[in-house]
Amino acid sequence: MSDAMGLPGIPRGGSGARPLFLGAQGEVPRVARLDSPPAVAADAAGTTAVAGDLIDDEYIPGIAVPASLEKLLGFGRTFSWWPLLFGLACCAIEMMATAGPRFDMSRFGMEAMRASPRQADGMIVAGWCSIKMAPRVVRLYEQIPDPKWVLAMGSCAISGNIWDTYNIVQGIDALIPVDVYVPGCPPRPEALWQGLEMLRGRVKQSRHAYDGLRRIPARVAAGE
Amino acid sequence: MDSTTVTVEIPGALKVIFDALEKQFGDRLLGNDFFRGELTFTVAPEDFVEVATFCRDEPSLAFERLDCLVGNHFPGRRAAPFEVTAHLTSVSHTTRLRLKVTLAEGQKMPTAIAVWPSANWDERETWEMYGIEFEGHPNLVRLLTTEDFEGFPLRKDFPLRGTVGGRIRTDLKGKM
Repeated sequence: MSDAMGLPGIPRGGSGARPLFLGAQGEVPRVARLDSPPAVAADAAGTTAVAGDLIDDEYIPGIAVPASLEKLLGFGRTFSWWPLLFGLACCAIEMMATAGPRFDMSRFGMEAMRASPRQADGMIVAGWCSIKMAPRVVRLYEQIPDPKWVLAMGSCAISGNIWDTYNIVQGIDALIPVDVYVPGCPPRPEALWQGLEMLRGRVKQSRHAYDGLRRIPARVAAGE
Repeated sequence: MDSTTVTVEIPGALKVIFDALEKQFGDRLLGNDFFRGELTFTVAPEDFVEVATFCRDEPSLAFERLDCLVGNHFPGRRAAPFEVTAHLTSVSHTTRLRLKVTLAEGQKMPTAIAVWPSANWDERETWEMYGIEFEGHPNLVRLLTTEDFEGFPLRKDFPLRGTVGGRIRTDLKGKM
């Protein structure tokens, strides 16, 4: 991995002292073509030697991979997305089942459900949200540090479901930006799993539901 | 509830309760009911605390615990559409008893906090949902709905659908 992402001309392991940037001495470092990766072999000391060393001792050919930092970070975040340990209603039971051994969310690096929003990467809004609970949900959402992703789980979190009543928020997206909607009453753990896979796709692309928003909907509703 | 007399045989443990209450209060009990193994007494609002205290302190009854205190609304009963039911449990005798109070619109009843402190939140909820006021309650404010909610949601004339009374008016400022 480190070889594939290495910058051109940077000396690697055990070849003696070399200047860090050869280009600084007026020589252009060679950049290998992407379709012909250099053969890499590990020596006994565990350091790697690149085949180019044998040909040209002065320059070390590397591979330049054009990538934005955000994409690399997104790639890393994909495998350690930690949701907030937060359940509102019956959907939370299915969320627990997803985290349990049968469906085993920990295969994807999601097993660490953080009880503190400050350590979480997003939240799964599992279940109906009462109007009294709404400010708390918004508060928890705002306490999660950026970047964050929200998954609305179940019909109640999406639209209020049958609870078109005096005390239920008719869709959590009236309060906070939602990335992925998982319908169902409640959704099976497989459905939540698929939703989490879709969420991981967005994490990988570094796309967020709050992109382009100046304020979250709850703040707009409060007139702030 | 109609003033009925018990015709079926009451089993031993409940018979003790029945006899003790009848002996102590007699005609002040407005009615009783024995249905499917469960004993219910109806009392007047002004007698409620006295009967409850007796149920708790009398050793042969010993209802140490208030299971729950709930309200009810029967619009068909024109004179007294509201009803408050206290479910009592005796841990030492493993028996249960219901005390019922029927109330007219706007009629108040005394609080049972002095008898069982757990009545506090139950009475708050009953007031919030039905508009039944409990005299002497130290903190009769809304428990489950927002502070600025209007109306009593579990009354039968409250609209079933729509966010009547709360959602949009709720001020989120300073709460998020």
